[in-house]
Amino acid sequence: MSSRRRMLLKVVILGDSGYVNRKFSNQYKATIGADFLTKEVQFEDRLFTLQIWDTAGQERFQSLGVAFYRGADCCVLVYDVNVMKSFDNLNNWREEFLIQASPSDPENFPFVVLGNKIDIDGGNSRVVSEKKARAWCASKGNIPYFETSAKEGFNVDAAFQCIAKNALKNEPEEELYLPDTIDIGGGGRQQRSTGCEC
Amino acid sequence: MIPRGTNPDPNPNSTLIDQNLDAIEDQLASIVLAQPNDIEDSSSEQEVFKDAPNGSLLDEENQQEIGGGEIVLCGGVRSSKWTNRRARAAAGMLVRGGAVEPPVRLRLRRPVEIEFVRLGGAILSMTCRILKAPWVPGKRHADEDDASVSWRKRKKHFFILSHSGKPIYSRYGDEHKLAGFSATLQAIISFVENGGDHVKLVRAGKHQVVFLVKGPIYLVCISCTEEPYESLRGQLELIYGQMILILTKSVNRCFEKNPKFDMTPLLGGTDVVFSSLIHSFSWNPATFLHAYTCLPLAYATRQAAGAILHDVADSGHLNLSRQFACQDIIPWHFCMLMSIILMIRIEMVLLKSNVLSEVQRSMLDGGMRVEDLSVDPSPRSGSSSPHLGQSRLATESLDRFQEAFVGIGGPAGLWHFIYRSIYLDQYASSEFSSPINSLQQQKRLYRAYQKLYASMHDKGNGPHKTQFRRDENYVLLCWVTQDFELYAAFDPLADKALAIKTCNRVCQWVKDVENEIFLLGASPFSW
Repeated sequence: MSSRRRMLLKVVILGDSGYVNRKFSNQYKATIGADFLTKEVQFEDRLFTLQIWDTAGQERFQSLGVAFYRGADCCVLVYDVNVMKSFDNLNNWREEFLIQASPSDPENFPFVVLGNKIDIDGGNSRVVSEKKARAWCASKGNIPYFETSAKEGFNVDAAFQCIAKNALKNEPEEELYLPDTIDIGGGGRQQRSTGCEC
Repeated sequence: MIPRGTNPDPNPNSTLIDQNLDAIEDQLASIVLAQPNDIEDSSSEQEVFKDAPNGSLLDEENQQEIGGGEIVLCGGVRSSKWTNRRARAAAGMLVRGGAVEPPVRLRLRRPVEIEFVRLGGAILSMTCRILKAPWVPGKRHADEDDASVSWRKRKKHFFILSHSGKPIYSRYGDEHKLAGFSATLQAIISFVENGGDHVKLVRAGKHQVVFLVKGPIYLVCISCTEEPYESLRGQLELIYGQMILILTKSVNRCFEKNPKFDMTPLLGGTDVVFSSLIHSFSWNPATFLHAYTCLPLAYATRQAAGAILHDVADSGHLNLSRQFACQDIIPWHFCMLMSIILMIRIEMVLLKSNVLSEVQRSMLDGGMRVEDLSVDPSPRSGSSSPHLGQSRLATESLDRFQEAFVGIGGPAGLWHFIYRSIYLDQYASSEFSSPINSLQQQKRLYRAYQKLYASMHDKGNGPHKTQFRRDENYVLLCWVTQDFELYAAFDPLADKALAIKTCNRVCQWVKDVENEIFLLGASPFSW
């Protein structure tokens, strides 16, 4: 292999703050209540494909239940810096994710928190301070924190970079794939008469 | 673009083609260099066979320009055939020589045969026929994704994804770029499953979306080929089988342990295998007949081949195939097995005997020809059933004759048939007769058989015993008994009673030569 292999990361976006990625996507899947998109990110010499499941603010997607969270590599929690309730709910979203996705090592599962919509009203309507948000993140095992404006796309890329970086850090040692052992003896021979119907 | 100025003689009436083949080869080099991608995937669902009339030379955009691929130049008598490289070069020169205005860009998608009729050095006519292109397996259009117009236009997509929505395989396009699409597919499947139901088929206009859930593996086909649901689902089953054949059922455990598991790297380099399999869905009746076929061989030769393979198996070199013999193999897995068996290069062993030359001869000669079917109505007159290869010499000279005057197939307008033996899980089919000699027609006939098969085995209304169907393309006749299934295609104007009679004769013929066209007695899996 000349280039190191690409990594595919499933990123689930949760929270009360509306779509983070609207800017990048115009194909919103209304019936399912989630927005799916693909974003390529380069970090150091590695190429990452982020498969982003953006549901922020939608109740509907919960109908997907476990299937939605299954196999997530990273969870992004989003709140609206202008709405206190959305910040208070971060804890619920985090818990919900850990229950549904039941990752093997919940303590170290990579989360990222985004304080969204910092651009609204020139920041005058802001009710959640950056300090408060960072404190919460620190208390939950130092979750990386970013302030973003999805409308402008501000800082969103930095958040994605961080996701890639995390993934690289947590990259499992090359998983060993053990195929099933196949019994070459007996079976086939006994079936001489019926052949392949064994 | 074809470089100008390399041809010193712009006059097509002169003897440039006839006399100076070396020059043509030189011309060729420039054409080939100029068009490195001129031969494209002959099986790609999108671009091929759309409206290309028999004998069209160029792809669609050029077709109008040179009037369907036939170029008439001036008076002549002699005829000659060229193929591929030389023909392409010649066609390029003729076009550039001013016979056709304006000079067109020569883009050939498939190898062609060009026939010239000449008088002395002058060319009377030139006919171009598309030859069966050697199909090359492998990933197609890897740069596309779901935003590409070309991707969306492809007639038949296949996807494998994991139950977490991560892409594993896509027939067209880049798996990673299709991650969002893959997630959507997973969401649709999960959405329905969450409601305590299963999604099997979604129809959207001309498209069918077929789903197959195999534990942690989801398979999806999106097709507008109008194949029956059962066929498409069967194809997904085969793709799943192919994947398990490569990775074993260990994949299930792997996903249980770690739903994040990214399977794509494990399948790295197997694009060729999957594309071959998908290709066979259109070109190998085994995939929908759930039966395999044998190379027609004289009984003694087949016995000898069997004995040799036995020895190889006993010496342990065929362990691979034995492995699968004791797995849960059902007949239609056989087409996958074949690729593995071929990999072991059995021919190395066969080479030591004269069996290989017999096999090669059989491959060249082909099997049963509908033209050889006896018109003699008296049944059971053993001699009326020509044995394979026997009547070959007699028909050889007729071939030329038939080619020239466009054959009409066999008696009663019989064009083609497939005979499937139920006990043996094997089928035998006739060669394609001249009314269906183009790839486009052959593919269409296979699709028609496939539909017929599905309707005969329809669980809702079937199973049926006979079916007679007439449309603008064929008369199709299907006859299912306890012992066999016969699928036959006739001229659309064929007489029904005669067609039925002919089918009876076909069955008799098959019975008469069954030890040459079938592997009797021993199952290939009993090694």
